[in-house]
Amino acid sequence: MNTVLMGNRPAQAQSAPAIAIRNLDFWYGENHALRGISLDFPTRQVTGMIGPSGCGKSTLLRILNRMYDLYPGQRAMGEVLFDGRNILSPGIDVNVLRSRIGMVFQKPTPFPMSIYDNIAFGVRLHERLSRAEMDQRVENVLRRVALWGEVKDRLNASAAALSGGQQQRLCIARTIATRPEIILLDEPTSALDPISTARIEELLDELKQEFSIAIVTHNLQQAARCADRVAFFYMGELVEVDTADKMFTAPHEKRTQDYITGRFG
Amino acid sequence: MMVVSSTTAGQEAAASGRNAGGNAGDAAFGVLARLAGWSILLVMAGIIIVLVSGGWQAFSTFGPGFITSKAWNPITHNFGAATSIFGTLVTTAVALVFAVPFAFGVAFWLVEMAPPALARVIEMAVQLLAAVPSIIFGMWGFFIVVPFMAHYVEPVATRYLGHVPGIGLLFRGAPYGTGLLTGGLILAIMVTPFICSVMADVFVSIPAVLKESAFGLGETRWEVMRKVVLPWSRQAVMGGIMLGTGRALGETMAVTFVIGNSNRLGWSLFAPGNTIASLIALEFPESSAGSLKLSALLALGAILMVISFITLACSRMFLQRGIKN
Repeated sequence: MNTVLMGNRPAQAQSAPAIAIRNLDFWYGENHALRGISLDFPTRQVTGMIGPSGCGKSTLLRILNRMYDLYPGQRAMGEVLFDGRNILSPGIDVNVLRSRIGMVFQKPTPFPMSIYDNIAFGVRLHERLSRAEMDQRVENVLRRVALWGEVKDRLNASAAALSGGQQQRLCIARTIATRPEIILLDEPTSALDPISTARIEELLDELKQEFSIAIVTHNLQQAARCADRVAFFYMGELVEVDTADKMFTAPHEKRTQDYITGRFG
Repeated sequence: MMVVSSTTAGQEAAASGRNAGGNAGDAAFGVLARLAGWSILLVMAGIIIVLVSGGWQAFSTFGPGFITSKAWNPITHNFGAATSIFGTLVTTAVALVFAVPFAFGVAFWLVEMAPPALARVIEMAVQLLAAVPSIIFGMWGFFIVVPFMAHYVEPVATRYLGHVPGIGLLFRGAPYGTGLLTGGLILAIMVTPFICSVMADVFVSIPAVLKESAFGLGETRWEVMRKVVLPWSRQAVMGGIMLGTGRALGETMAVTFVIGNSNRLGWSLFAPGNTIASLIALEFPESSAGSLKLSALLALGAILMVISFITLACSRMFLQRGIKN
């Protein structure tokens, strides 16, 4: 068992990045999908990743929790430093890693079980809580995602009965219930209506008080609204990264400007 | 101008000719297809009529007692179905006890763990196993499995399980090698490919994001399988198991070789027994037309049909619900 990854969360200085990527390359079989990426994800900030389809932004997200491990033929080279260790190295316990770096997907993915169990499930894997503590944890995270009022009377009902927006908030609740340090969101609102989208965006603003967040989005307004820093990817390369304000008002690179003004993408 | 119009005319003629021929062909094809469709019903009806009318003599002679009677005595003309129904259900149950976990293991490994190239080879082997004729399993069972069971498995099982309260009863008795347990084991091997391929299909069809989000919480493969994949695919998996059950119920040749063919009903799984299908296979050639024995065999056939039909109906119901979800 990996003591560094199991250890308590260190008091991080605001300046130290939550994740630091250095010279990262990634391949899907023969396809060289990411080239020489170096990027920092600052602690307790929202880092937005934008770029046209196929630019590698979702791929990067899937490297951060080693999701690519599930698929043979996909491999990464370089360094992804998290808590002082390279998470790409073979000695890392990916199950522990994934509980510390949570992920929310494009489409809501409630598990085929009750609302309560959807949340308790992930927690049970890593902690032993009494029934009362678990109830408390479930209520706590449901309140944080503003779902408690809507579901408190039917916690034992199937999660499949919730609306799309509610399901996505449940998935976020499920992710924060295991108390990760970092939350990865892969276009979390692309399957949702504008009202549900707005609620999730508000939620992100609140969650960054406690978590470091990386969000991939196709929606440039969303990146401008939610992200503190924005990284623009194009054809597997990181073109530019800067604060959201600068990226959307005065980008350095012509390709960034062309993309955010809608000339391609 | 001339050329153009003549071509047009020619094309029209050709086109109308083809249409005329097409219409006739289409009509003929329609009639044939309809006939083929209806003939299935006809065949089904024919089988049911023959089984019920042929078995009627036995049903009317013995009444409902035919199903509960353990007798099978051609000399005194006393026939009952209890022993062979019992053997059929027991061998099928034994088969499922072994085949379901085995098929699950193979399917899980194929879908979740095996390197793709190897998985393709094993998948092919599973399909081939399904294609092996049952007579081959029968011979292999008789020459290899039966002696193996008699010399190793059954004595060891008696020694270690024979004294366990409750289930110990199942593992006592002379180790003949032939018997209900061996019959069930052969059946297990035969139905595994069917159950396995249905399971592998449903495991593959699970949305990748659902599995990924479970992995994303830090779950291990087994936890993902047990808590997410299995509940999600429960209905379809049940359907696959029922499909295998249907096969096991009616399997004849392989079972006839290894079951011992004795009209006995008891607790020991080592004891020889029979199944509906094996009894019919053995006794049919020795039954004269119009005899009560022949009628009893046809009545057994009708009972087997009913059991198989119920199983198939369950399987379809589960599979359909599984697909809807």
